Amino acid sequence: MNRGALEQLRKAVGADHVVSDPHDLVIFERDASITGALPDAIVFPADTAEVSKVLRIAAAHGLPVVPRGAGTGLSGGAVTIRHGIALSLARMHRILEIDAGNRTATVEPGVVNLDLSQAAARQGLFYAPDPSSQKACTIGGNAAENSGGPHCLYYGVTSNHVLGMEVVLADGSVHRVGGDNPDRPGLDLLGVLVGSEGTMAVITKIQVKLLPLPEAVTTLMAAFPTIETASHAVSDVIAHGIVPAALEMMDHATVGAVEAHYRAGYPTDAGAVLLVEVDGLTESAQELMDQVRRLLESNEAFSCRVAADAAERELLWAGRKGAIGALGRIKPNYYLHDGVVPRTRLPEVLRQVGEVAGRYRLPVANVFHAGDGNLHPNILFDLRETGVMDRVEKAGEEMLRACIDAGGTLSGEHGIGLEKNAFMPWIFGPDDLDAMQRVKDVFDPGGSLNPGKVFPDAERKEARLLARSGVASEAQWW
Amino acid sequence: MVVDGVEARASARPASAEELAAALAEAAAEGLAVIPVGGGRALGMGDPPARFDLALYTSRLDRIVDFSPHDLTVTVEAGLPLETLQAELAKARQFLPLDPFGGPGHTVGGLLATGWSGPLRLRYGTARDYLVGLRVALPDGKLARSGGRVVKNVSGYDLNKLHLGALGTLGVIVEASFKLFPQPLHEVTVRREAEGFEEAWREAERALSLAMPPVALALLKADSGYSLVARLAGSEEGVRRIQRELGWARTPFLFWVELAESGSRSWARLAVRPQALAAVLRSLPAPARWVAQPGVGVAYWFSLESAGAFRAARAAAEAEGGSAVLLGASTELKHEVGAWGSPPATIDLMRKLRAAFDPKCTISPGRYLV
Repeated sequence: MNRGALEQLRKAVGADHVVSDPHDLVIFERDASITGALPDAIVFPADTAEVSKVLRIAAAHGLPVVPRGAGTGLSGGAVTIRHGIALSLARMHRILEIDAGNRTATVEPGVVNLDLSQAAARQGLFYAPDPSSQKACTIGGNAAENSGGPHCLYYGVTSNHVLGMEVVLADGSVHRVGGDNPDRPGLDLLGVLVGSEGTMAVITKIQVKLLPLPEAVTTLMAAFPTIETASHAVSDVIAHGIVPAALEMMDHATVGAVEAHYRAGYPTDAGAVLLVEVDGLTESAQELMDQVRRLLESNEAFSCRVAADAAERELLWAGRKGAIGALGRIKPNYYLHDGVVPRTRLPEVLRQVGEVAGRYRLPVANVFHAGDGNLHPNILFDLRETGVMDRVEKAGEEMLRACIDAGGTLSGEHGIGLEKNAFMPWIFGPDDLDAMQRVKDVFDPGGSLNPGKVFPDAERKEARLLARSGVASEAQWW
Repeated sequence: MVVDGVEARASARPASAEELAAALAEAAAEGLAVIPVGGGRALGMGDPPARFDLALYTSRLDRIVDFSPHDLTVTVEAGLPLETLQAELAKARQFLPLDPFGGPGHTVGGLLATGWSGPLRLRYGTARDYLVGLRVALPDGKLARSGGRVVKNVSGYDLNKLHLGALGTLGVIVEASFKLFPQPLHEVTVRREAEGFEEAWREAERALSLAMPPVALALLKADSGYSLVARLAGSEEGVRRIQRELGWARTPFLFWVELAESGSRSWARLAVRPQALAAVLRSLPAPARWVAQPGVGVAYWFSLESAGAFRAARAAAEAEGGSAVLLGASTELKHEVGAWGSPPATIDLMRKLRAAFDPKCTISPGRYLV
């Protein structure tokens, strides 16, 4: 980056809020994916006006801009693959308003997901989307990626809960999209910006829906001899007209690692463990959970346990939400995809996932949103092993291919980013991608916002190699 | 086919998505103006067309492409009537929670293009919340897909949302995939009459603050007074308790069927954040007949007559950040007040999007905001 641009950035946001020392830049080289690339500078704006200034400076100097929340994304969305500016929204972390009457909250993008839910809980409300990284991930990042979470089975994903946003486009212009009018005339700009992965706009404010906390929540843990029996149990529950708030599954490998770490009480001899949560009225939750339990038990469930109190419920969930971390007991590194399949195809696709892992001599641990067919096969490996990354990536690709062949899709909640953009032609033809490109060109005609993401990228291979070799010691950062 | 007094010179009834795309592209190449027609139930929406050459019917695209009850998903062609779809889904005790006014006879594609919804949105949201995939014919003859057939999907841009309520101006919807819902385990409809508006509104707020709010709540203003009708759904024990707490009288389910058939030649939809709806309703003239959805923030005004009264209501709604949109009206009234109201601040971006998909304004020119 030239000195002039750097000077302008320092003037726009304050010298303390621009980082350009090569040693410091390394901190922002990565997100939670397996690729990395160094930005030229990291900029920390304090408000919308500063975001706008930064984007104008970037436009004037032809610099790419990559917005960044907490960097917990798994698809490389925050990686500065073309270098340029990493735009961190971390300083914009205020909850601006919680309107209990209208059940809405307005927040800056850097607000942490769990912090919003906790603030809302003081008024008897909650924010429904709950990614497993909710202790760290931000609402801005959630909106950019259209994040999900265990409770999205009943409550829906982020886009179902965002009412409006303030966004800044690549030319620095500030716009308000959406709002609390339930039937806004005009094109749904909000709808297409949520989930656009930072490629069309920088989000600077978000208005979200809040929901009243349910009167009762009951959580049940059930063990099954196999993934197949557990999958059939899930289908049976839904076939009986019950859509629980959450329906999560962990396989044998995951249960072992999680139990060793959290002591959540999962039976380690189980082929699969299901977590089912039902909420609502005290009477309803009880009645539904009784029905769910009967259905599970008629499908070979054993060791069924209903959490006796909030502490036990949280322990059951701690195991699930911390599952990926616990897998570090097996191998130090993990790589996971989040393909989706029609729920009825889960058993056969999981079988194929196991076969692929076996073929590449890699352990795999499955933890996933069984209710909506959203897989999370964790490929476990040790980065210090020579050549392992090629096997990991190949295996991941084949697992995704199995999802697509079963009528599924590339990503349920993690985003395409630069991890899966090369696979987009598996599910979208040239005409489909062209329609998406037309929308991108309206919002970001110069292509400077998060370049190299979402769409298949001819420069990708080279860029990735550059990214790799740009890291002094890859293992150091794992 | 006549829309707002403008008669089409020709019509086409393509038998497939490909044929429809070809007909659309041919019309675009010749500089013709096309209005897509589904069930024809919502053609009153929008401003009078600037031009109208070809009525493009989706009626022959009426197949259920794929219904997977165990996956709670369905894919249908755009010309399928809503009632036909619901009857098929009901065989598996499932449904699409889309219960628009102005029926029967809506097609799925028409409902998506107009963005119409009904009382069940209180619990289930609108099509925006359960539409998972679209296939759209573009004016250049291409057929573009977005989303997919699975219930959760962040692959690529969510173009589904752009087409919802766009009145076909970015392309003609030819196929749609939905996430479905199981029919409630137990359900009752209850009703309460009220003499005055304030009493009715207080009761509505009480219903909404219950631990398990109704899945649908309608507040009706008729000549004689006000009625509140609620749909309670959930587990049997839960519904029983809520019915007791609410204390309204049971009434036949038929109410909702009849409500969905209500519409008018001259009507409008008012929309505002839920907390501001009461103020907007108070601004309506005393003899007005309307149905409001407390908790949602939407009301349908069925007896629209004078431009003055409508302007006042629109001003009241817009002052609260809301809107008042004509769903049907005489050409004179449309010319006088306009179908859509004040343009949104982002109108330029919307115009650019339209130009990116329909540069020659082939589809419904003049009817939409852009």
